[in-house]
This record gives sequence, C-alpha cells and structure tokens, in this order.
Amino acid sequence: MSPENFSRRNFLKAAGAVAAMTAVGGFPAQLFAYERRMARFPEKTDLILLTSRPPQLETPLSYFKEMITPNEALFVRWHIANIPTSVDVNEWRLKVGGNTEKELELSMADLKKFEKVTFTAVIQCSGNGRSLFVPPVAGGEWGDGAMGNVTWTGARLRDILNSAGLKAGTVDVSFNGLDKPPLPTVPDLVKSLPADKAMEEDLIVAYEMNGKPLTMLNGFPARLIVPGWYATYWVKSLSDITVLSKPFEGFWVKTAYRIPETDCGCVPPGTTPKKTVPINRMTTRSLIIDPSGSSELTLNKPVTIMGVAFSGGRGVQDVLVSVDGGKRWEETRLGEDKGKYSWRQFFYEWRPTKPGRYDLMARATDTIGESQPFEGLWNPAGYLWNKVEKTEVVVK
Amino acid sequence: MKKLIILSLMVAVAGLAYAAEKDAVHSIEIPVVKTELRAGEGMDTTEKYCSICHSLDYITMQPKFPKATWTVEVNKMIKVMGAPIPEADAKVIIDYLTAQYGTGG
Repeated sequence: MSPENFSRRNFLKAAGAVAAMTAVGGFPAQLFAYERRMARFPEKTDLILLTSRPPQLETPLSYFKEMITPNEALFVRWHIANIPTSVDVNEWRLKVGGNTEKELELSMADLKKFEKVTFTAVIQCSGNGRSLFVPPVAGGEWGDGAMGNVTWTGARLRDILNSAGLKAGTVDVSFNGLDKPPLPTVPDLVKSLPADKAMEEDLIVAYEMNGKPLTMLNGFPARLIVPGWYATYWVKSLSDITVLSKPFEGFWVKTAYRIPETDCGCVPPGTTPKKTVPINRMTTRSLIIDPSGSSELTLNKPVTIMGVAFSGGRGVQDVLVSVDGGKRWEETRLGEDKGKYSWRQFFYEWRPTKPGRYDLMARATDTIGESQPFEGLWNPAGYLWNKVEKTEVVVK
Repeated sequence: MKKLIILSLMVAVAGLAYAAEKDAVHSIEIPVVKTELRAGEGMDTTEKYCSICHSLDYITMQPKFPKATWTVEVNKMIKVMGAPIPEADAKVIIDYLTAQYGTGG
C-alpha cells in the first residue's frame, strides 16, 4: 500500500483501534475519540448524535438506499444554543424590508398565496465528510450522513422580493431565523446572498418537506432553499429578510463558512489560505451505499452495487464504478432523473468470481465535466469533501 | 330539532376553531443528553465555561489534537464566538483538553 493510499481509516485499523463498526451503515466508529451514540429527538427517528445542545444529528447511511430521505431521518444542524422549540403559526411573520419599496410582514397564509413551487433538491452541510480530513480539522465531525434528498415546496424568494420591490443600489440580501445566541456576545446566525443569486428563479422559501410541514428541527415553519449550494445558506425558521445596499458584514459570512480562493477550494494540507471567499456551490460527489463497508459477500453470487451521486445543481452526467481499487472503471445504470438538484441513484451488477478483499469505488461527473478527486482536497475548515471514497468488502 | 342542529353546528364550529388554534402552536421538547468529561485536572473549569454555550459532546467528538490546535480552538471561542473566559481559566481549559482529548503535547 503506497503512503498516499494509507488512509486514516487504515491507519487506525493498523494501530489496533476499535475495529468494530457500529450497526448503522457500516460507519467507521474508530475515527472518533469517543463512541458514536444514537439519539431520538422530537419528530426524528434514531439518528447519530454528534451534539445535543444545539443539536447536530447525522443520518445513518442506510437511509440513502431510498431516493427520498424521510423527514424523520434527515440530518439536523443548528449553530447557536437557543433554537426555536415552540412556534405559533398564527403569530409567526416573515418580515421583508431594508432597501425595498415597502415593508412586508407575511403570514403563513400570505406566503401560501404566492405561486407554489415544488422540486427535489439535495440538502448538504458544508462540513459533510469533515471527519475524513487528513490531517483532521476541528468542527462538527460528520461522517457522510449530513446530507439528504428532499422534495421541497414553497414560494419563490424572487416573487417575495419583487412583491416588496428592490430599490436601486441593492447589493446583498440577508436572512435571519428564530434561533438566538445564548449570550449577547455570541454572533447571531445571519446569512446573506449576493442580490443576483437571491433573485435567481429556483430559490424558494419552503414551508413543506416531502409534502408535510417542516419538522421543528429542520426549520419549522419555513426555511430558505438555495438548491445546488451548501445548506449553510438554507436558513431555518426564517423570520427576517433584509435587502442591503451595502455588502453584508456579519460574522457567519465575513469570517465563518469560507473556503480558499483557489480553483479547487483547497490548500496544501495543514496550511492557511492567503485569501478566502464565502462557500457557495456544492462540489460533485458520489457515495456507495450498498454494499456497506462492513459487508461480507458470497463468491459467485450477483450483487448490485448501489449509491447516490449529485452535483452543485448541474445534474449528473455519469457515474463510474470500480471493484478493484480504481484500476478498471465500469459504466453504471442511472436511476430516475428528478431534476438537476436531486441526487441520482446508480446501479452496477457485479458477480465476484474470486475470494478476497475488494475496494469498491464510485466516481461521478456532472453535466459540465466536473468530477471527483482521488485524493482528499484539504482546507482548514473541512468543507467541500468529495474525494472518491473506498468501500472495503470481503468476498468469501 | 332545528335549534338542536344549529347548536350542534355551533359547537362543532367552535371545536374546529379551537382545534385550528391549538394546532397553530407547534412545540417540541429537546431531550437532555448528558456527556461525562474524563476526570482530570481542569475538568470543572472546562465544564463550567464550555457548557454555557454548548453541550460537552462538542469536545468529546473532536479528533485528538495537539496543544497548538486546542489553543487555537479555545481562543476562537473567546475572541470570535464571544465566550466569557478569563485568561487564567483559558489556560486551565487548554491544558485539560490537551491532556484528556489531545495528543498530550
């Protein structure tokens, strides 16, 4: 095994760390300094507990065998401790103001009067896969389960902004939710988008996920959907939209959630980028879901290698699969196309004819040719993870 | 008979209105999940300050970091995230995290 292939996973195995996989999705528990715990939060099923206050809950990979991620299984990620736990929809208002012709205070009924838009889009945390970074970086130590594919329904942000009327000189639009910091010194979670991005057709303020009201932990009663972009912009429990004539200067855009200003969004491992920009479009990635990394397969018995692939809103062109650690690549069959923001399932029928250990790999390419790196691209905050990962299986 | 029907209807409408009003409030209760820190010098100080803003699993989920990284993280909490930790206590916390959740050096 060459040093560059000597992954952290292998290192820890070699070092004799905990060898047991957890029951869920073959998650490599040994990556962490502690045992991964499962927890059941309100309106949620058993999810992998990263943190409890504020809650960060990860989806077990087995749920990604389905095209649509169930509401109760979708990951949860809040930033500051005082999250909304009770909302009176009759009292809730979405305020729109700032550099606008008029100020709006939209009730849920008002929001539902705008044209109703429905599409399926991948929601993914900027730090999904952070625990796989080498050298490791601090933060929410997500595996690959801080993502999901959900059908969202709501009103176009553009229609809402046009209804308020943008004044000349508009630069940015900021978004605030009902969550509040635990101390006045802690920066409130406010995000912003450039005005031209905010006015794109496909951004919505969603009040339904998979045909039901949003769960509280996923942003009840309404959240911003910025399909193709990382979920840091998908502000939950939205309460305020502010149109700005000056660039937004808030902490969560100016200081946090930034990536190196390089073509790959990466820097040499362990180094500090010279210049950074706000994180934005998701990188193209794929993941083998079945068989999981802990599987034992039977000699000469056909098995379907299945996984999911998506891009930053450009649609998936193809997914190739290798069963020999990347020497030979085979075309896969793509599943249903639910639009450019949804993930695509891929399938490859395989019949292992020799016993032994196999490294299964998948590599997706999007419609403009953007694909996945074979080595993990590194940045200090642990964002944009899309390395071609290896799933080790044993054939007996 | 007619009166009875009207009365029943009124009760039904009132009931529906009440249900709508009640359904308008959506509430959940977040479970309390206890995380025990490893016993060691500085544990109480660490628990006292860190848990003002977040649960202690924020600490236990991290990979083992060298002292330099824990120093950066604790200072980030103070200078960037607004944690009210006096300098002397910050040192205690950094030493504790390095000893219990770090590479020890």
